[in-house]
Amino acid sequence: MRESQIMFIQYMTGLLILVFGSFHFLLISALAPTTDKVLYSYTYLNGIRTLAGGTLYYSTVKAVYTSLMWGSVFELLLTFLVFHIFNGFRVILSEQFPGSKAEKIITYSVLIAAMIVFIWGSRTIVLMLNGGL
Amino acid sequence: MTIENKKGWISWFNPFKYGTDRWMYALHRLTGIVLGVYLMFHVVETSRILEGAVTWNSLMVWLDYPFGPHFGPLILSAVLLAAVYHALNGLRLTIVENGLMLPKPYRPEYPYKPRSLRGLNNFLKIFLGFFMIAISAVGIIYIFTGAIL
Amino acid sequence: MQEIALKGFGEVVKTVTFRVKRYSPENADMPRYMEYKVPVQRGMTILDGILYIKEHLDHSLSARYSCRMGICGSCGMIINGKEKLACQTQILELGKDLIKVDPMGNYEIVKDLVPDLSKLFRNHQKVKPYVLREEESPTSEYLQTPEQREEYAMFTDCILCGMCLSACPTNAADELYLGPQALAQGFRYISDNRDLGFEERLNVLDSKHGVWRCHFSGACSEVCPKGVDPALGIQLLRQLLTENIFVKHKQKGTTRGPERKSASGVS
Repeated sequence: MRESQIMFIQYMTGLLILVFGSFHFLLISALAPTTDKVLYSYTYLNGIRTLAGGTLYYSTVKAVYTSLMWGSVFELLLTFLVFHIFNGFRVILSEQFPGSKAEKIITYSVLIAAMIVFIWGSRTIVLMLNGGL
Repeated sequence: MTIENKKGWISWFNPFKYGTDRWMYALHRLTGIVLGVYLMFHVVETSRILEGAVTWNSLMVWLDYPFGPHFGPLILSAVLLAAVYHALNGLRLTIVENGLMLPKPYRPEYPYKPRSLRGLNNFLKIFLGFFMIAISAVGIIYIFTGAIL
Repeated sequence: MQEIALKGFGEVVKTVTFRVKRYSPENADMPRYMEYKVPVQRGMTILDGILYIKEHLDHSLSARYSCRMGICGSCGMIINGKEKLACQTQILELGKDLIKVDPMGNYEIVKDLVPDLSKLFRNHQKVKPYVLREEESPTSEYLQTPEQREEYAMFTDCILCGMCLSACPTNAADELYLGPQALAQGFRYISDNRDLGFEERLNVLDSKHGVWRCHFSGACSEVCPKGVDPALGIQLLRQLLTENIFVKHKQKGTTRGPERKSASGVS
C-alpha cells in the first residue's frame, strides 16, 4: 500500500472515531439505560461502601453490551481505534528508528500487537452480545 | 548513520521558540501516545465484565478509588482532556494537512510572517479551542458530580 | 545628510558575551562552550560579532559565510535557541547581554559552527529539482504565463540555507526524512506547468519517509529567512497526493513556443 493511502485511512478513521467516540462518551452519561446518570452511585451496607447503581453498574453496562446496535458501535469504534492508534505508533516508531531493517521489525510487531488488542476487545463484545460467558 | 548533532525526540517537547503550531504538534503526539496506552488498558479492563457482576462491580469501585479518593475521576478527567484535545486538533490537522483552509501560494513580503500558520488556520485553532474548553468542562463536571448540564 | 546618517556609527554601545559552541571532530574532544566578550557597535550583526572574535580573540573559531546580506544562505546557525541567519540578525535587536550561538542541529558538524549540509543537498537532489520533459534537447522555450508562474513562484525563493531541516521536529529523529526544503521544492516543480515529472517524483515523495512524515508543526516556516513557507508547500503537495488516490493526477505540460533558428537569436 502506498503511504498516501495508509494516511488517508488514518485521517478517515480519525474522523470516524470522533463520531463513534462521541457516542461512546454519551453512552456512559446522557444516553445510559439507567435512571441515575452518574458514573458511580454508592450505598453503605453495614458501613461498607458498595456500588449500587450508576452508568458503570454491572446491569447497566450489560444492558448496553447485549444490544446489537451498541455492540456494533463498539466493534466499529474498536476497529477504527486499533487502526488509528497502531498506525500512529508505527509512524512515531519508524521516525524514531529509521532504516529498512527497523522498519520491518516495527511494522510486524505493531501489526501483531494490533491483532492482539483487536481480538481481545472483539472477544468481549461478541461474548457479551450473548450475555457473557 | 548517526549524526552527532541530532536533536532527537526530546526536542519535540522543547517547543519554546517556534510558535503555537509546534506546541500543538508536541501535545498532539503526547496525547496520542497516552490515549493509545489507555486503549490497551481499557480493553483489558472491560474484558473483566465476562467474569460476572461481582468482579465487575468491585473492579469499578477499585477504579474509582484506586490509590485514594478522587484519584479515579482525576485519571478519567485527564483521559477526557487528552481525548478532546487529540480529537479537535486532529480535526484541524485533517483539514489543514490536506491543503484545505490554507492560502494559495503568495509572494512573501518582509518581515515574512508565514501565512500557512496564520489566517484560517489560526481561526480554526481558536474556534476549536472554544469547543475544547466547553466539552471538557461539561465532561469533567459530569465525571465529578454526575450533573449533565 | 551623511553626517546625520553616520551619527553614532562606530561607537561601542555595549559589550555582550558570545557563548559559542566549539567542537572539532578531528581532535575528538567533546563539544564545549566558550565565552567571548564582544564590544558591539550600532548595526553589528551576529556574523560581525563572530568575525570580531575570529580577528581579535580566537583565530581558531570556524564559521561559514559568504555574502553577508542574506542571499547565499551559508551562515545559518542557532542563535539564542532559534535558527537564524547570522548575517541578518542584529545583536542590539536581540536585546540580550548573553548570546548563545550553536551550530544548526540535525547535521553532522565539520567544525564549530560549520554544519555538513550534504544531507540537505542529497535530499534536494532526490526530488529532481528541475523541469522534467521527455525531450532530450528542446529547441525552444516552454510557454508560461505570469499567472502560472505565481502558482509556485514563492518556493523559488529558497536559498538552501538548511535551517528548516534544523528546526523540523521530524528531522530531529528521522534521518531518512526528506525534510521541508526538498518537499517544498518537490511541490514547486510538480505545480510548474512546464513539468511532466509527477509520476517520476511520486516514488520519492509518497514514500515511508516522504511527505507524510510531516506533522505540520510549522517550525520550518517559522524560521525560514526568505519567507518561503515550506509548510504550505508540503500541505498543498499532500492535497495533490490525496486527490491522486482517487483521480490520477495528470500534468498537461505546456506547449513549446516558436522554434529558434539559432542560439544567438535568443535574447
